[in-house]
Amino acid sequence: MSSLSRLFGVVCLWIISGSLLADDHRTGYFGIGEVATPDQISGWDIDIRPDGEGLPEGEGSVADGEWLYEAQCAECHGSFGEGVGRYPVLAGGQGTLSDGRPTRTVGSYWAHLSTLWDYIHRAMPFTAPESLSDDEVYAITAYVLYLNDIVDDEFVLSKASFLSVEMPNAAGFYRDDRPDVSNIRCMEDCLVGELVVHSSVMGFSSEQVASLEPESETSAEDERMAKAKSTYESLCGICHASGIGGAPIVGDAEVWQPRLEKGLDALIDNAIVGYIGDAGVMPAKGGFAHLSDEDVSSAVEYMVDRSR
Amino acid sequence: MTTKVTEFTSSHSPDSGSNLIPRRALLTGSLGLAGGALAAAGLAPLTTRAGGFMPPEVPQWTKSLGPGVLTQPYGQPSKFESHVQRRTVEWLTADRIASISFTPLADLKGIITPSGVMFERYHAGIPQINPDHHRLMIHGLVKRPLILTMDDLARLPSVSMIRFVECPANGGMEWRGAQMDRVQFTHGMLACCEWTGVLLSTLLEEVGVDPSASWILAEGADGAHMSRSIPMEKALDDAIVVYGQNGEALRPEQGYPLRLINPGWEGNTSIKWLRRLEVGDQPWFHREETSKYTDLMPDGRAREFSFVQECNSVITSPSPEKPLKQKGKTHIEGFAWSGRGKIKHVDVSKDGGKTWQEAHFTSMVLPKALTRFALELDWQGEPLLLQSRAVDETGYVQPTYHQLRDVRGTNSIYHKNAIHTWKIHQDGRVENVQFV
Repeated sequence: MSSLSRLFGVVCLWIISGSLLADDHRTGYFGIGEVATPDQISGWDIDIRPDGEGLPEGEGSVADGEWLYEAQCAECHGSFGEGVGRYPVLAGGQGTLSDGRPTRTVGSYWAHLSTLWDYIHRAMPFTAPESLSDDEVYAITAYVLYLNDIVDDEFVLSKASFLSVEMPNAAGFYRDDRPDVSNIRCMEDCLVGELVVHSSVMGFSSEQVASLEPESETSAEDERMAKAKSTYESLCGICHASGIGGAPIVGDAEVWQPRLEKGLDALIDNAIVGYIGDAGVMPAKGGFAHLSDEDVSSAVEYMVDRSR
Repeated sequence: MTTKVTEFTSSHSPDSGSNLIPRRALLTGSLGLAGGALAAAGLAPLTTRAGGFMPPEVPQWTKSLGPGVLTQPYGQPSKFESHVQRRTVEWLTADRIASISFTPLADLKGIITPSGVMFERYHAGIPQINPDHHRLMIHGLVKRPLILTMDDLARLPSVSMIRFVECPANGGMEWRGAQMDRVQFTHGMLACCEWTGVLLSTLLEEVGVDPSASWILAEGADGAHMSRSIPMEKALDDAIVVYGQNGEALRPEQGYPLRLINPGWEGNTSIKWLRRLEVGDQPWFHREETSKYTDLMPDGRAREFSFVQECNSVITSPSPEKPLKQKGKTHIEGFAWSGRGKIKHVDVSKDGGKTWQEAHFTSMVLPKALTRFALELDWQGEPLLLQSRAVDETGYVQPTYHQLRDVRGTNSIYHKNAIHTWKIHQDGRVENVQFV
C-alpha cells in the first residue's frame, strides 16, 4: 500500500468514525450472505410511506373501485364499509372519536392515505394477499375514500394525485408521552375507590371452558371428528360459515342438497383439487396447502353431517 | 387398577388440581375437616378415593414396569396435565386466522413459559416455512444490502436472554369494568421465554448503516406481511433477531424459523416470520402502528408509537382457576414485570388496597422478564379483596384503574396495567372485580 493511499484510508476512517453506524471497519466483518441486487429487492420491497415513497406508477378510479370492492371486499367489510360481523368497519364514524363508543375508520381515524394503499396491497383480500394489481389497489383505495366522503365519485387516484388527498384525522396523533400516571407506594390507610362487582358476563364461564376440555377416553373416530371440527372452525368456516365467495353455508340443507347429490367422494375430490362452480370458486384445499388430503376429507364429512 | 386411575382423573373438574389427600389432614387426623373441604371443592368422598393408591396400600405403578425409552421421541406433558392449554375467547375476533389465544398463567411454574402454551397472535394464520427456503433481506440506507440464509445467521455471534413478550391489548377487555372470569383471559396475552439469536445491532454493523438512518421497518413473511417501524435507538439497544426459544428452535406459532424480539416493548413490534429489515430515515406509519396499536384518549386524539409495556403485576393463585380449597396457611403467588427494567418491589393487599405488605421474590429478578412473588396467607374462610402492586427499578408504581381512567378514559384499548382485584368468597371461590 502506498503512503498516499494509506493516508487516504486514515482520512476516510477519521471522517466516518464520527458515527458508530457507519463504522466501515465492521461493515462486512463477518462477510456473510449474498449482496441483494436491486431486482431481488424490488420483489419484496413493497412498503409505501406517507410522502409517497414506494408508490408504483398506476391509477384507479372510484368507478372502477366500486365493482372491485363489491367483488373483493364487501363480503367482509359490507357494501357501504359498515363491516360484517367482527370484520372491520371501513367508513363513517367521523366526529365520534371523543364519544363514549367511538367508531375508528379510514375516514374518522386513519391519518395517512399511504397506510390504506400499503395495507390493501400488502394484506388484502384476506384470503389472497398480494393478488391485486397496482391499478386495482389504486381503484379500491379510491373507492374506500369515496365511501368516507373524502373524494367525489369522479375522482381518480394515481401516483400523481396521491399527495393531494387530505385525510380528515391527519392531525389526530401525538407521540407517546408516558408515563402519564403517578401512583405512590402507600402501605397504610390508603385511599380506595368504590368496589364494583361485575358478573363477568362477557367471558367464558368456567363451565363453558370445562366443556371444551378433551375427554380422557375417546375413540379414534371421535378424535378424527374433533380434528375435523377444529379444521372447520379455524379454516373452512371463514367462508363456509359466512358464505364468502359464494361458499355453501354449513347448516343450510337447501344449498347443500344439489351438491350432496354428486356424492361425498366427488365433494371431497373437489375440495382437495379445487373446483369452479356457478356460484363461486373453491380453491384447492381452500387455499390452505398445509392441510393433508385426510384433513380436508374429514372436514368435508364434518360439514356435510351438519348440512343434511 | 390402571383403569381406575383414569376414571378417577376424568371425574375431576379440570381445575380441581391435585388428587392427593391433604397431608396435614391425615397427619393430624382431622378427617372431618378434610372431608368437608373436599366436598366443598366437589371431589369424591374420602372412602372411595383411597382405592388402593394411598398408604399403606401400594399402587399398581409401583409394582409393574412402564414404557421404555423413545416411547415419545419428543416428550409431551403428562396426560394428567391436559387442562393446561391455550384458550381463546371467540367473540373477540372475526375468525381464528386473525385471532388470539391466551397463556394459561395460573398453571405456569417458575418464570419460563413453555413454548407450546405461549399465547398466539396471528393476522393471516401460521405460515409453514421450510428454513432452507427462508431468507432475511436487509436493505435501504445501508452500504451493503444483504440476503441472509438461516445458515448465515448461525455463523454470527449469538446471545440468549430471558425476556417477556406481552401483547399491548393484554387486559384491554377490562377498561370499562371487570369482564373476564379467568386470569388466563385477564392477563394471558403474556409469556416469558429464553430467546436465542443475533443482536440486531450485529446485523446492522454487518450491512453498514448510513448515518442519516433513524428507523427500521421490520416485515413478516406471513400473508399479512405484518410490518412495524422500529426506532434505530431500540435496534441498537437490545433488539434480537431470534431463532431459538427455550432451548429449541422457535415454534411455528412463534415465528419459525426467524422473528424479531424487542424486549419490554409491545409484542406486535416483535415481528414473526421475519423476512425483511429496511433501514430508513422516518417511520412508515403502516396499519399496525396507526389504525391499530395507537391509544385513543378522551379528547379524541391518540398516542402513537407507544412502545413500552409499563410495570404490571397479577396474582395467579388464588385466582378463578385456583380457588382456595381449604382453610389454613397457604401462599399468595403471582407475576410482576416491567418493560423498563427490573422489578424492585411487589406489595400485596388483602383488603382491597387499604393496607399493603411487601411480598418476597421466589425467582430470579431479571430485567424485562416475568418475576415471581409470594406472600404467606393464613386463611380462615373470611372474604378477601386481593391485589398486587409492582414497583420497577425506575421507581414507577403500578397505577390504579381510577388513575388510568382519569388520564386515558376507557377507549384506549392498549397498555392497561392497572392494579387487579380478585374477590375471595367465603367458600374459597375467586371472582374478578374492580374498584372505580
